Amino acid sequence: MPDFSLTEEQSSLREMARKFARTEMAPKAAECDRTPRFPEEVYRKAWELGLMNLNVPAEYGGSGLSALDQCLIVEELAYGCAGMTTSIIANCLALEPILLGGTEEQKRRFLPPFCAEYHLASFCLTEPAGGSDAGAISTRAKRHGDGYRLTGEKCFITNAPHASLYTVFATVDPELRHKGISAFVVPRSAPGVTPGKDEEKMGHRASSTSTVRFEEVEVPPSDRLGAEGDGFPIAMRTLDQTRTPIGALATGIAQAALDHAAAYSLKRHTFGKPISEHQAIQVKLADMATRVQASRLLTWSAAARIDRGEPGTLDSSIAKTFASDAAFAVADDAIQIHGGYGYMKEYPVEKLLRDAKLTQIYEGSNEIQRIVIARELLKRYA
Amino acid sequence: MRIVVFVKPVPEAETRLRPSADGARLDTDGVKWVLSGYDESAIEQALLLKEANAGSEVRAVTYGPSPRSEEVLRACLALGCTSAGWVEAPADLPPDVRLKVRALRQAAVRWPADLYLLGQQSLDTESGLLPLALAMALGVPGANGALDLAFDAARNELSFERSSEAGVEEWRLPSPSVIGLKQAKNDPRSAKLQNILKSRKMPIDRIPAVELPAAPEVTGNANRFRFELPPPRTGARLIEYAAPDEAAEKLVRVLREEAKVFP
Repeated sequence: MPDFSLTEEQSSLREMARKFARTEMAPKAAECDRTPRFPEEVYRKAWELGLMNLNVPAEYGGSGLSALDQCLIVEELAYGCAGMTTSIIANCLALEPILLGGTEEQKRRFLPPFCAEYHLASFCLTEPAGGSDAGAISTRAKRHGDGYRLTGEKCFITNAPHASLYTVFATVDPELRHKGISAFVVPRSAPGVTPGKDEEKMGHRASSTSTVRFEEVEVPPSDRLGAEGDGFPIAMRTLDQTRTPIGALATGIAQAALDHAAAYSLKRHTFGKPISEHQAIQVKLADMATRVQASRLLTWSAAARIDRGEPGTLDSSIAKTFASDAAFAVADDAIQIHGGYGYMKEYPVEKLLRDAKLTQIYEGSNEIQRIVIARELLKRYA
Repeated sequence: MRIVVFVKPVPEAETRLRPSADGARLDTDGVKWVLSGYDESAIEQALLLKEANAGSEVRAVTYGPSPRSEEVLRACLALGCTSAGWVEAPADLPPDVRLKVRALRQAAVRWPADLYLLGQQSLDTESGLLPLALAMALGVPGANGALDLAFDAARNELSFERSSEAGVEEWRLPSPSVIGLKQAKNDPRSAKLQNILKSRKMPIDRIPAVELPAAPEVTGNANRFRFELPPPRTGARLIEYAAPDEAAEKLVRVLREEAKVFP
């Protein structure tokens, strides 16, 4: 990794994801964005080829890829369509708490079905009254006999209307804040679980997002992950793992924006020459390429650190924040280079800006990321 | 059933082709090599036969230089081929079918099969000579342009269709035969991620170039001496107009007076 070259194996994984993104995803991206439509046929095919459940180890039937390999794949998929990518990688996010906090018995029970058949799972942390302030969770887990009864509402839950399993964070006592939170695995079929209707979103419209209501949902103690009160660290460690791929996803959006803009600048003429010969455009393209390259390298380096087993919180927060801000800026420049055409839905670049926006918000808003970065940073000076 | 599929790496369709400095051949620097499209169908056909005939083996074989040969063989393994064979060749191999037949014949002797399958032609040179030339060299029946192959183990017979302008022909050939495939029943499948990872660890059996019999003498007319790209397209012309009927009138005038497509 220090020489930043990929192994042949990594190149072939990247190649495979690239082919899938460009032949299966990209041709449907505009239609799924406009309608909007949840292209289940694309997700099923992604599952068949092993592009879902990338983080599930091979012993449970998954792909068991390193963080870096996951990033290579996610960047390529996002190049094809960021919204579809969000839905494809949502299983990684939802199953990670089981990988981190589950017993061997729980892993054997919950993970293989996702690898043996196409199923979706959703990560249920965010609530209507707070996303980033995860300590303020109000979904209650009341003790009932040996187990629990869950009541509350989660929102902005990716794939929720289509999921068969939810990993849910709920508190046994809101007064305890972080220390009261536990993680539970709840099947969609459990009485009292109700996903809401699909939200109408600005971007990532091929993905599906809704609320999930839990009303007196019975959860046996065998479906709690970790000990009571372990929920908050499980959630945070999950996001430590999945944050870096969001940097890769943003990099894929930015690369697509750069490619569209550069190709367009060579074709579009003003003042008697291609606009690529105007320095104002060249400066933009150079800045865009710089941002794309920096995003990719920050993502790779954060992933490589995680793969070495070192703490990845600082690096993954830096990578996610930089890459998502870069994706927004690069998509913005791509629209500007396209001029009026860029503002039209007939051209692909305005979608990239709408898609990039979400990467600055989800899996920990960039404001929270900056707090995390500063906190991790200052530890080194204290 | 033992099947050997001969495959050929060709430049990816999106590759920007350039002639080499001496103008004699394709500059292969920076070319990305992939499985030829008809060969993808041949692999798909072989895998369908393997699935229909329990206990079958499919070996992908190529003749060519490194690293493109290993790359396409790994792609075949990732798709589901059970083994791979590589007949090594220098990078500056002239594109002569006799050299190729000599090499692949050696492979067929090393790895005997019930069916030797190829794409009906490659996507780069498109000569379509190899299936029948190889059948002659091996002294077995051969056919080209086959559709949707089936194997009858009891009768040891291969059957397929060929479509021509006159209609559809049904063919039966005894096994072993060499068959050039036009199309399998299915579209070629994509490789699964887990299989791509596994294929990286699978062995590739080699036949070194020195083990091949002496090269047949290649006479002058077999040497391609010049490689040129098609001439760049001349500029398109835009007809400016205010109303559609004005555009039509102007277009008709250009077609009649300049392009002279109308009297």
